[in-house]
Amino acid sequence: MTKLSGRRVLLVEDESLVAMLAEDMLTDLGCEVVVAMRLDKALDLARAGTFDAAVLDVNLGDARSYPVADVMFEREIPFLFATGYGVKGLEPTYRDVPVLQKPYQQRPMEHMLHRLLGGETPPLKRSAPTPSLGCTCTPTPSAAPTFRADTPP
Amino acid sequence: MPHSRPALESRQPLQSSAEAAASLATLRRGDQLFETERRLNAVLDNASVSIFLMDDRQHCIYMNRAAEQLTGFTLAQVLARDCPLHDIVHHTYPDGRPFPLEECAIDRAFPQNNHERGEEMFVHADGHFYPVGFTASPIRDDAAKIIGTIIEVRDISEEKAAAERQRLLLNELNHRVKNTLATVQSIAAQTFRGHTDDGARSVFDARMAALSTAHNVLVADNWESASLRGVTERVLAPHLLAEVDTDRFRIEGPDARLHPKVAVTLSMALHELMTNAAKYGALSVSEGRVRVAWTLADLSDGGQRLDLTWEESGGPEVVPPSRKGFGSRLIERQLPLEFDGTAAIDYRPAGVVCRLQIPLIALGWMGQDVIAGQVPR
Repeated sequence: MTKLSGRRVLLVEDESLVAMLAEDMLTDLGCEVVVAMRLDKALDLARAGTFDAAVLDVNLGDARSYPVADVMFEREIPFLFATGYGVKGLEPTYRDVPVLQKPYQQRPMEHMLHRLLGGETPPLKRSAPTPSLGCTCTPTPSAAPTFRADTPP
Repeated sequence: MPHSRPALESRQPLQSSAEAAASLATLRRGDQLFETERRLNAVLDNASVSIFLMDDRQHCIYMNRAAEQLTGFTLAQVLARDCPLHDIVHHTYPDGRPFPLEECAIDRAFPQNNHERGEEMFVHADGHFYPVGFTASPIRDDAAKIIGTIIEVRDISEEKAAAERQRLLLNELNHRVKNTLATVQSIAAQTFRGHTDDGARSVFDARMAALSTAHNVLVADNWESASLRGVTERVLAPHLLAEVDTDRFRIEGPDARLHPKVAVTLSMALHELMTNAAKYGALSVSEGRVRVAWTLADLSDGGQRLDLTWEESGGPEVVPPSRKGFGSRLIERQLPLEFDGTAAIDYRPAGVVCRLQIPLIALGWMGQDVIAGQVPR
């Protein structure tokens, strides 16, 4: 039995064949996997389902999975992004979320899920970047502190 | 005084209203013409598009400043040549052959309609060729008789270069995708040599080939879409080619454009059905037949749904499989999840029947509008 046994994981991945691979990896790690391949279904599940963690493919073809990430932030469910583009491919707001480099590999996936579920505080969404130059409007104080998921608390 | 003041003022935007009012009384007809000409010249000489005015002999009787810059000739030079404009800016094909006026799409005849468009290669005064887009419209006299042509011309070198860059990038993309598939295949072959039986290897190779085939169909249309019929025929081709009796396959249905994702997953699904049929089903005996038939249903949201049936007959009696393999998992589980559709495989004793309902997602991908330079709606 590991930390991952019996954990419910939402997997959002839009390519059938790739989803099968990722699902098998998670299942082999002992996770209970719920698969969503489309943004609308993923959002429904993210809002209503019970999950310990989520693995979100960023590029869903005709959409990005950021709205699902927002629900995860709200519900304080830890999650990671899976992308072939690395951190630089992410919108700036989401750059503190851990990134699993695609193609999926079992060991990195296991390692990152362990860290996510190991009691670390889930990452917070970055506040929107405030313009630093040439803006005379009253700056709105940023409410959320920034937090890097890969630095120990 | 024939003119009312407001009407005249509105036609004199270059003057302040006070000046206009002051000059009104002294305006003579010649001054008005002069003013009109000045305004027209201001418009024409500041326009970034080249404008040529042609008479009924295809001689250029006017060109604006942009046209002078584009062609490398001044209006005075063109007028002095006293010949059709074609012979000045369009006289040679890019391959060096002479380009007679009679073959010229722009100058051969008067345009019959307004805004007739096309693309041509012009020759600059210094001898270099440049691509242009043109729009030609007829000029008519009071009796509606065509007496000349107005031609707008734009240098489209930038567009052509961008299109060429895109073509090269697409070629590179195609090359890399094919190479990656071939590399994966090679890695699998090296890795599993001696560790797996040849059966597993050949199943893997056939699946890689099906994936590669789907990509070939996509390459044919720049990754934007694939023909439904093309996808179906190509996936079944390995079997079609080996068949003496071509009647064994019936492929029926209207063609449609498939989103690349649909094309790939459908290709893989059909490949699995075909492999299963060849191993256990209708294609495992010479009398067996397969019918792939589909219809397109209109959906309320304006889209279409593909209703496809794979139907085997004449094969050995079908025994439902004891466990679900890759094929049935892909078809019955992944395919509905990916496209919000339905899929069912019915292991009827007389032959396997698989029914798919796939809403055809709109073509395009995220960011395509940006790439294509279209404004998002």
